[in-house]
Amino acid sequence: MNPFEEERQLMQLVQEADFVVVELTLYTNTHPNDEDALDQWRVAIKEAARLRRQYESRYGPLSLHSIPSEEAIEAGWRWNQPPWPWQR
Amino acid sequence: MWVYEKKLLYPVEVTTCNPKLARYLMEQYGGADGELAAALRYMNQRYTVPDKVIGVLNDIATEEFSHLEMLATMIYKLTKDATPQQLEEAGLGPHFANHGHALFYENANGVPFTTTYIQAKGDPIADLYEDIAAEEKARATYQWLIDLSDDPGLNDALKFLRERENVHSLRFRESVQILMDERDRKKIF
Repeated sequence: MNPFEEERQLMQLVQEADFVVVELTLYTNTHPNDEDALDQWRVAIKEAARLRRQYESRYGPLSLHSIPSEEAIEAGWRWNQPPWPWQR
Repeated sequence: MWVYEKKLLYPVEVTTCNPKLARYLMEQYGGADGELAAALRYMNQRYTVPDKVIGVLNDIATEEFSHLEMLATMIYKLTKDATPQQLEEAGLGPHFANHGHALFYENANGVPFTTTYIQAKGDPIADLYEDIAAEEKARATYQWLIDLSDDPGLNDALKFLRERENVHSLRFRESVQILMDERDRKKIF
């Protein structure tokens, strides 16, 4: 697999995991007592954080609140570089 | 406050340069039932609704901004390599004369966005019913866009957006029910 394709696949995993969090958050807004949904959310938020760390340690920050790894600080934590989402 | 996320909510794949399709998509970018209207409407209504439904308005407004970015990405990718002549053939000659290759908040006919498309009534039930209608109109628009589209890659993202309108409509209808249940409880005790 070429590096471009590897990045694309990991990005897609981050997008999927983050979307699960968005959807479960919205659902629990109107179903605050649904314990099963809250359990799903507890799993989803950890999985999303794990994939985000994995992506960011390889390809750079996804948000200004991202905490860089030691290696990333050494290399220079660059935000203002392509591709921006609409350039992919 | 908001923090930018350097990624799309859902991937947008565009097969080829297609300014005609881009023009149709502008209906959902800067049109009456589009994503900008939705985002601005909910973001503004959230201040004057009961606490129990603030989260729904806040979070759906935020998601609508991510939909707006997906639409912008579609329009940008479909038009960035188009020549002025191709844009003209697609009916985007007047757009090019005013904006070049830039995006603008306007509908498929080039009518600029206006806040007269949206309302904030200061009455939670009235506002939520408007929001349900807005989601259903957006869902219908996405269906017409899918019917018009000849780009299979793009249809995947359009179907995702159509489905999100269904989910948002459902959350708004549940919000109405939450407020009605609360009102009935107050009458009993």
